[in-house]
Amino acid sequence: MQNLLNAATLGSIYLLFALGMALVWGTIGILNFAHGATFMFSAFVGHLVTRDTELPFVAVVLIAVLVGAAIAALIQLLAFRPILKRSKNQHAAEMRILIGGIGVAAIPLALAQHVTRSSPFGFRSSYDAEVIQFLGLRLTTTAAVVIVAGLAIGIGLTVWVRRSRQGLALRAIGVDAETAAGMGVNRTVLAFGTMATAGALAGLAGALLTFQLGAIAPETGDQLLIKAFAVIVLGGLGSMAGTVIGAYVLAGAETLVLHLNYGTWVDAVSFGLIFLILLARPQGLFGRKEVRRT
Amino acid sequence: MSDWYSMNVVLIQTTLTTFLLALSIQVPLRFGVFSFAGVGAFGIGGYTGVIAMVHLEWTTWPSVALGTLLAGVVVFGLGLLVQRLNGLYMGMATIAFTLIISVVAVNGGDLTGGAGGLYGALGDIYTGHIVAIAAVVVAVAVWTEAKGMGRRIDTVRDDPELAGAIGIDVAKYRLASFAISGLIGGLAGAITTLLRSTITPAEVNFHLVIVALTAIVVGGARSWVGALIGAVVFVWLPTVISFVAEWEKVVYGLIVAVAAIYLPNGVLGVVKDVVHRVRTRDERARLAVLQEKG
Amino acid sequence: MGSAARTRRTLLAGLAACAVFATAACGSSAEGGSGGGIQSTIKIAQVQDQTGAIAYAGLGASEGAELAIEEIDEQGFLGPGVKVELAKYDTAGEIERASSEMTKAMGDRDVDVIIGPAATQQAAAVAPLVGRQKVPTVFTQAGGDGVVVNDYTFRATPPMESYYEQVLDHLKQKGATNISVLYNATFPTFALLGEDAVPEMAKARGMNIVQSLPVQTTTQDFAGQSQQIAQKRPDALVMLLIAPQSVTALRQLKDAGYDNRIVATSVQAAGNIAAAGADADGLVYPVPFSTAMDGESSVAFTAAFREKYRKDPTPYAADGYDAMWFIARAIKASGDSSREGIRQGLATVAKEGFTGAMGKLTFEGNDARIDGALVQWRDGKETLAQ
Repeated sequence: MQNLLNAATLGSIYLLFALGMALVWGTIGILNFAHGATFMFSAFVGHLVTRDTELPFVAVVLIAVLVGAAIAALIQLLAFRPILKRSKNQHAAEMRILIGGIGVAAIPLALAQHVTRSSPFGFRSSYDAEVIQFLGLRLTTTAAVVIVAGLAIGIGLTVWVRRSRQGLALRAIGVDAETAAGMGVNRTVLAFGTMATAGALAGLAGALLTFQLGAIAPETGDQLLIKAFAVIVLGGLGSMAGTVIGAYVLAGAETLVLHLNYGTWVDAVSFGLIFLILLARPQGLFGRKEVRRT
Repeated sequence: MSDWYSMNVVLIQTTLTTFLLALSIQVPLRFGVFSFAGVGAFGIGGYTGVIAMVHLEWTTWPSVALGTLLAGVVVFGLGLLVQRLNGLYMGMATIAFTLIISVVAVNGGDLTGGAGGLYGALGDIYTGHIVAIAAVVVAVAVWTEAKGMGRRIDTVRDDPELAGAIGIDVAKYRLASFAISGLIGGLAGAITTLLRSTITPAEVNFHLVIVALTAIVVGGARSWVGALIGAVVFVWLPTVISFVAEWEKVVYGLIVAVAAIYLPNGVLGVVKDVVHRVRTRDERARLAVLQEKG
Repeated sequence: MGSAARTRRTLLAGLAACAVFATAACGSSAEGGSGGGIQSTIKIAQVQDQTGAIAYAGLGASEGAELAIEEIDEQGFLGPGVKVELAKYDTAGEIERASSEMTKAMGDRDVDVIIGPAATQQAAAVAPLVGRQKVPTVFTQAGGDGVVVNDYTFRATPPMESYYEQVLDHLKQKGATNISVLYNATFPTFALLGEDAVPEMAKARGMNIVQSLPVQTTTQDFAGQSQQIAQKRPDALVMLLIAPQSVTALRQLKDAGYDNRIVATSVQAAGNIAAAGADADGLVYPVPFSTAMDGESSVAFTAAFREKYRKDPTPYAADGYDAMWFIARAIKASGDSSREGIRQGLATVAKEGFTGAMGKLTFEGNDARIDGALVQWRDGKETLAQ
């Protein structure tokens, strides 16, 4: 039972991180490798601000969210949009966006490593986690917040993409950008908005994970990228619901492996899952996008 | 001259092995196959080479040969499994394959040396050997870029239906690209590792994929010359910009990002453009005059 | 084949021929050239990470080495007017860079001795090279296998297993019988400790390992393991994790309700555990050096370092300092500052041992051994553990 709670917490962290990537990848087709750097740097700015002044929980989270949104919007403006404009087609752009993201990601990483000398960094906050005990189970308040936030935002985003007008517009861009533009969808504004939202989610995940773990290192963000891939592939590209389910399934699988004390095989779970799903059921659990070659 | 050489011999050798690694990813890309299995091949080649020298007590070149062949076979097998996937999905599957190799290496007990890896396999390899090997590989690459074969490969990449219609066995070509990338990657891995004399699981990771990709994108993705340019740029970059010392990673990231955004065909593309412009200078001037008259 | 392709082929063949020719012509380099006598300027290369994930090791060693150089010059230790010069090469956390920077340093005829990479992987890669090129190299940190492999490789920082016994003695003294081990099994040093060294040492003292939990370097969350440990209730936990993992694990162990003893490793030193705040109070770990050490030479080093840099020295500064003094003593012992002379001097000093910031250093072959100190962390400071 306790393990279920652990899996729920872990899954919510994966979800919050992967949601941003899935949103952007599944709608406007951008595979953003700088997502991990955005995540980490938002938390890092939170660290810098709280070095001198102790701040409450909400304030730190807010700072991280704003920084994340700003970074993502900046990357869209300076890197991804120019690439898309200069590319003949979506396919050609994919590779360049991938590489562009990798290049851009190196900058915040180097900055953070320089300042912290690669030591772990955390927040100085007036908030201190407490342990809630019920039914013989233990849960920290931070973990509770993480689970609630993960579920709420995950489900909320899924519903929004499916039901709202903007969600419809986003999905239209994902299916056929030209036609969508012809029907009056403002691609530029929507793209910025989506990237900014994804960045905000990254910032949120960064702040929450730092509170949860106590401290993170500059390299932490990039480690989560592969997990996000696994989540998205498992759930199916283009499906928000899939991402939600995928995150918890992955977390559950990893928790099980840990429980059986195969600690050194945990990463193999994500890699193995990616591989197997792509072979057996490439569209993932809920995906709709065309994945196989005709 | 010989002083400069002996001080920089490692850089020269690294340029060549990085070139081979980049080729192992570029060759399938030119066939339209988004496979990063070349990096996994690098790992297989490296580990096999060291295992052969340390556990089986073979000499240098048989170990290299074993590493190369084994890698080729494994990657070919992988190709059989994933050949129906397209675009980024195949990329994901092949990345997952590469990372799984790292996990296997960690859990390989005494055979692979576990987390600490293996050491002490110093090969008898001189720069001349590597240059000769690279020359052979380049010859193969040149053959694939030459008029006849080059056109066929371009068709397989850009328009597989057309290729099928004119009688090219697309599936066979794509499988061949897997085999070639496995052989080249394994070769690069075996040579690099026996030059360094050690290997650990930590080196078979995503970072290598990034190195290879960025070399190709910055240098030029269409030809082996681009891969060579990319390798030279990245291996010699730290030396050339050494005055930027701590900010080296930032500069690296910036260069990659700028190349991804503004240089769609890499440095090679720019060079070809300039050469073209110079050659057709007179022609264009004449055309301009004619247009004004008429 | 087109003419362009043919031209390219010819060029490549020509290049290949040139390269082979050049390799043969250059042949092997540096003869030891022991000219006897101490030069007036002695150039020492430091080839370590100044940037990258373990930059703190290289940067710290630089500070310690520079303090040592200042003292050596001021004291005229190597003779009147003899100056020591430190040339820094950044290996930036990459093996290839380590090889190439090492090769550059060795190619510089003025460099007489090298302070080698602190990362085990880099060190193992360059160790055979320094033997081939006959350049004496003193490694700091680099605690794994494959580093001290020939006559030209020396190590000034003892590997962790060699001074970990005192941790188990401490636990035995405190009456612990059941021990759990939580360790990062993909980190070579911890894998060795967690799988072999600690179980052996525990068994020799009649203690039981009741739980052994391996994790990976990429493991960030320890809630599950913490709960397993809390449920098992061992008398002590041996925690072998890297810096960011330790911070998280300490917090989650508390949250899970585990409040018995925890011992760790020198990775927690240099304030790396500060981010854990109060969760780290009471943590005990062995270090090769601590400002809490009360030996005369250690106290002197701490004072001198504080005066020069206005901050406390870390173990990395201490081993950089001791590595430099090791070299200085070697030059004095052999009276010869050429490469071969320094090598002989290092071997001589190793036989006798010497006293440095880390206390009394003896050597097993070319590999340092020390007593080290067992410290306890409380309220942001290290004190000697009782």
